[in-house]
Amino acid sequence: MLIEILQQTINGLAIGGVYVLIALGLTTVFGILGIAHFAHGSVSMFGGYLTFFLVTSQGLPLIAAIPIALVVGFLLGLLIEIVAYRPVRNANHINAFIVALGLTMMVEGINLQLFGHEQVVIPTGLSKVFRLGGITVPELRIYVIIAAIVLVAAMMLFVEKTKTGQAIRAVAENRDAAILMGVNVKSIPLIVFGISTSLGVAAGIMVGALFAIAPGIGEGFVVKGFAVLILGGLGSFPGAILGGTVLGITESIAAGFISSAYKDVIAFVVMILVLLIRPQGLLGRSP
Amino acid sequence: MNRTLTILVWLVAFASLAMLPQLLTIKYYLHLSILALIWVIMAQGQNLIQGYTGYVSIVGAGFMGIGAYSSTLLGIHFHLPTWATIAMAPLVTALFALATGYPSLRVKGHYFAIVTLAFNLIIVIVLINYKELTNGETGISNIPKLWGGSRDAYFYLVLVLAACLTLLAALIARSRVGEILLAIRQNEDLVGSIGIAAWKYKLFAFVVSAMYAGLAGALYAHFQGFINPEIFGVAQSLDAILAVILGGSGTIAGPVIGAFLVVFLPELLRFADSFRLILYGLILVLATIFMPIGIVGVCKAAIRRLSRKDIRSDA
Repeated sequence: MLIEILQQTINGLAIGGVYVLIALGLTTVFGILGIAHFAHGSVSMFGGYLTFFLVTSQGLPLIAAIPIALVVGFLLGLLIEIVAYRPVRNANHINAFIVALGLTMMVEGINLQLFGHEQVVIPTGLSKVFRLGGITVPELRIYVIIAAIVLVAAMMLFVEKTKTGQAIRAVAENRDAAILMGVNVKSIPLIVFGISTSLGVAAGIMVGALFAIAPGIGEGFVVKGFAVLILGGLGSFPGAILGGTVLGITESIAAGFISSAYKDVIAFVVMILVLLIRPQGLLGRSP
Repeated sequence: MNRTLTILVWLVAFASLAMLPQLLTIKYYLHLSILALIWVIMAQGQNLIQGYTGYVSIVGAGFMGIGAYSSTLLGIHFHLPTWATIAMAPLVTALFALATGYPSLRVKGHYFAIVTLAFNLIIVIVLINYKELTNGETGISNIPKLWGGSRDAYFYLVLVLAACLTLLAALIARSRVGEILLAIRQNEDLVGSIGIAAWKYKLFAFVVSAMYAGLAGALYAHFQGFINPEIFGVAQSLDAILAVILGGSGTIAGPVIGAFLVVFLPELLRFADSFRLILYGLILVLATIFMPIGIVGVCKAAIRRLSRKDIRSDA
């Protein structure tokens, strides 16, 4: 029993890492621009597909394919900000959300068009399995967890320590004051979208390596990402990290002990319960 | 436009729709027209919560599914006549809407959208996995039809229902409740500050919109004779949103036009085949950026401009 719980916790950490990366992108975009970037899941899966394509069809080593996918993700983020969200910046927030829905349909369609209907698994060649006591830990999961920690730490450092990071936080805190202090508010959304999309692409690659990418799963991931935001509290980085990890582990334990068919339902029920009991999230400031 | 003219336009629209079964020689177009009328009901419901109240609900298709499955299952397990199960479907849906609306309406804006979307996903997951009741992904076929499956008769049933429910939506919109819903869309805090319990009105709009969707679902099930969980997925909820946006949100004619568009547009785009999803998304993005007031909004603005010119030329 205890071993089973530990086993599921370790499984949950890997998927939790994926959720954290997706949620960090969503929370930054939301914090700065107030946009619920619904297409984030589909765009992330695009990155996963792209990596798969580079590795299998182009014969690139994974270590080269990943940076290319991350850079493409960054550029894609810039494009999305300029073409889709900038025109509705000053319109009603509902409009931005509907643009996001349309964008999701487009990206899903592009994914289908470019990469087909089949589900794909990114070949990593990492098949070693470690055994600790009764617990089995595939090598791949460890790398995924480490990569997630590194990316999250890098993101935190960037936002906390660099000049650009400070500007981002300033805009999130008070847009008008930031403009008065000479922050270039035109470039901030671009940077935010670029970085968020790169983080999403990293998550997409992890999903492709750990499980599989298939049409439509992006939607599931973006909803989980938002569930994490609701769990952790809007715009809160520590909240996103805690929320993602908690969701990953809860889901994994629920799948192991209750039912794997209903594991997604459990995640959503947790989210709805949090909304009912603590609408500001676990780490959110009370309104 | 003055009142008599508006009523006249509606009557002409109704009469020309009523003549469709005689005019359409290709039976497939009649089939699509019935679907479009079912979607009119769906879109009018969506418009109440999305267009008037300003809360984008993404659970429309899920409620449609609850209506479709409850009507079908009530018929199978309790041997009730079809008309009775169709009438009960919106009531069952209303119960689900009360239970889901209460928690989800505690959050606003995007979060409301996400939470309702999660509900749609839950509904589909349950429909897929509760195989004993729903037969899983295979779905249920041979659902009894009304009047031995006569298309013409069903067309008139759906037409009359769509007309009545459009009228009801118009009455709600013009009532005090409708005014409060509009006020909530514009400034919810202000509504609260003058002592109106906004949540009651939001819940009302949410439940009524769910009942519309439930009825649309039941009508769909007994028209097609086949349902499965996939039909009631998030993609269809997005269609309902698209219908409202394209037609013109917060107008009564908008959902009618939008419903016909979302049913007939994919047929027109059939040549594009696999590009359909991309085109569809593009239309949604472009429409929101360049035409956020919808077709009805654009027409109204054009008419206003024209009539102003008339006045000037008269003078």
